[in-house]
Amino acid sequence: MSHLRWGRWLLALPMAVLALATVYPLAFTLNVAMKTRREYVLDRFSLADALRFDNIGAAWNSVGMARYLANSVGVVTASVLLLLLFGSMAGFALSQLRFRGSSVLFLCCLAALFVPFQVIMVPLARVMADAGLVDTYPGLVLAYVAQFLPFTIFLMTSYYRTIPTEIIDAARIDGNSVYGVYRRIMLPLGTPALLSVGILDALFCWNDVLIALLLMPSAEHRTLMVGVTSLRGQYSDDIPTFASGVLIAAVPVLVIYLFLQRQIADGVAAGATKG
Amino acid sequence: MPVDEATPAVRPAPTGPARRAGSGSRATPRRGRGGRRSERLAPYVLLAPALLILLLLRFWPLLLGVNFSFTGDGERDGSAVGLANYLELARDPLFLGALRNVGLLVLLLPVAVAIPGLLATFIYLRVPGHRLYRSVYFFPAVLSPVIVGAIFNLLLAFDGPLNALLGGVGLGPVDWLGDPDVAMFVVVGVHVWATFGMALVVFLAGFATLDASLLDAARVDGASLPQTIRHVIVPSLSRTIQFVVVTTMIGMLTSMFGLLYVMTSGGPEGSTYLPEYYIWIQQGQLNRPALASAASTVLFLIMLVVGLLQISLLRRAVREA
Repeated sequence: MSHLRWGRWLLALPMAVLALATVYPLAFTLNVAMKTRREYVLDRFSLADALRFDNIGAAWNSVGMARYLANSVGVVTASVLLLLLFGSMAGFALSQLRFRGSSVLFLCCLAALFVPFQVIMVPLARVMADAGLVDTYPGLVLAYVAQFLPFTIFLMTSYYRTIPTEIIDAARIDGNSVYGVYRRIMLPLGTPALLSVGILDALFCWNDVLIALLLMPSAEHRTLMVGVTSLRGQYSDDIPTFASGVLIAAVPVLVIYLFLQRQIADGVAAGATKG
Repeated sequence: MPVDEATPAVRPAPTGPARRAGSGSRATPRRGRGGRRSERLAPYVLLAPALLILLLLRFWPLLLGVNFSFTGDGERDGSAVGLANYLELARDPLFLGALRNVGLLVLLLPVAVAIPGLLATFIYLRVPGHRLYRSVYFFPAVLSPVIVGAIFNLLLAFDGPLNALLGGVGLGPVDWLGDPDVAMFVVVGVHVWATFGMALVVFLAGFATLDASLLDAARVDGASLPQTIRHVIVPSLSRTIQFVVVTTMIGMLTSMFGLLYVMTSGGPEGSTYLPEYYIWIQQGQLNRPALASAASTVLFLIMLVVGLLQISLLRRAVREA
């Protein structure tokens, strides 16, 4: 038994080193953001001598971060709400209702999972341009919905499959239409799944850069992640301000992770075990 | 909510069971034609928004793109050029380099799967601090590749901290992102750093279904850790491992754009091109949408092989659920 105990501690060492390697890059960035330029050039590793927020303020004010942040929040919110609405509607129909063609339609949704964005981005840009949706918020929202809908439908379908048919039958006997069942039964019962799928969808949309780069060319329409990519050129000689900009962009996600890490990890695991 | 009915509560459910249940006094089973049809159409109405979006913005562009790849760019826009785009791809050193890098990813795949697999095993065996490790390891997975790339730009800069550290112990500076022989490995390494937490969580979900008595039996029989992994854990988790292999491969092929865009822009000397980056450059920067479409089609064929494998896994999983 003691032999096993030693073995465990031996394993814990490389794991601790790796944990450090996971956290260090962000801690380093935080530290740099607190330093003055002079401090950084003189010694990259020393701790900042004070909690200094001027760099963060400078990054926030100078590169339109506030605007980018607002763009991201708006686009992500709209996208996630639509994803959850359409995803739960489709998931309910595919899991609980019997109708002609249901299995074919389910396969269609499943097949869409395997059409990566890179494969369709050129023609999609043209379709969007023809529809006059390039460089508009609805266009970007629509692109995000299309991108993450298959995943959302898939998870909602597998979740709704676990709800016993008797509940729906009972609600029908009580006089609910199919739509009434969706609104009064499936939406409330689906809350846990809607929450974890919603968080994942929000992360996906928030972290995207390729779709936003492709469909939102003008500077004032940039999302926060696209804004981050432009920091480099602007602050190549001012590393502390650069680090501050990166940090500003990372904070919302980190806060969400601190509070919702259980749900996020569970969502990923559910995506894996159910599909 | 566009599909919500105005007065669903007062209308009786027009299905058989409702009548047989004979809740007579309340449910006056008036099976109005319109109501019945609306009920029968309900599944399609519920699916309509999703199907419309998928059809217009996924499947239609896919067809359009394949069609596109057989037409010309610029002056020959819209006219058929046969296989010219594909032939150009086959001669383009940048695209060939991108394919070579795909090969490199396939070679590195076992490492990218083994790292989270081993770590999940240790966490499952309750290494001291296992709960903390679980949440620490997962956290880079929630960061955007753009942020991860920017942070590593900082750490790996030629005059940056990592080289300063190496210099401190007498090792020459390495041009992490500027040396064509090194850069791709660095980018893949950063990608693995950022995503191994995802695979780790999936592995742990697999471990949750593992029969603990098998592990106890192995321990009683005096099996060493490597033996236990090889003869107990790997066979019991074969489905999870398959799944992680496929998703890790798809992740490498489709979610490294942010890193490439921020860290190397495909350079140095085009050594860090992947198909997705090539498509982006041809479409967005060089205005060669038809050529980009041909590259997309090639990428799609690569993904199809990976994807078909995954579909079979998914369908099995769905049936078991």
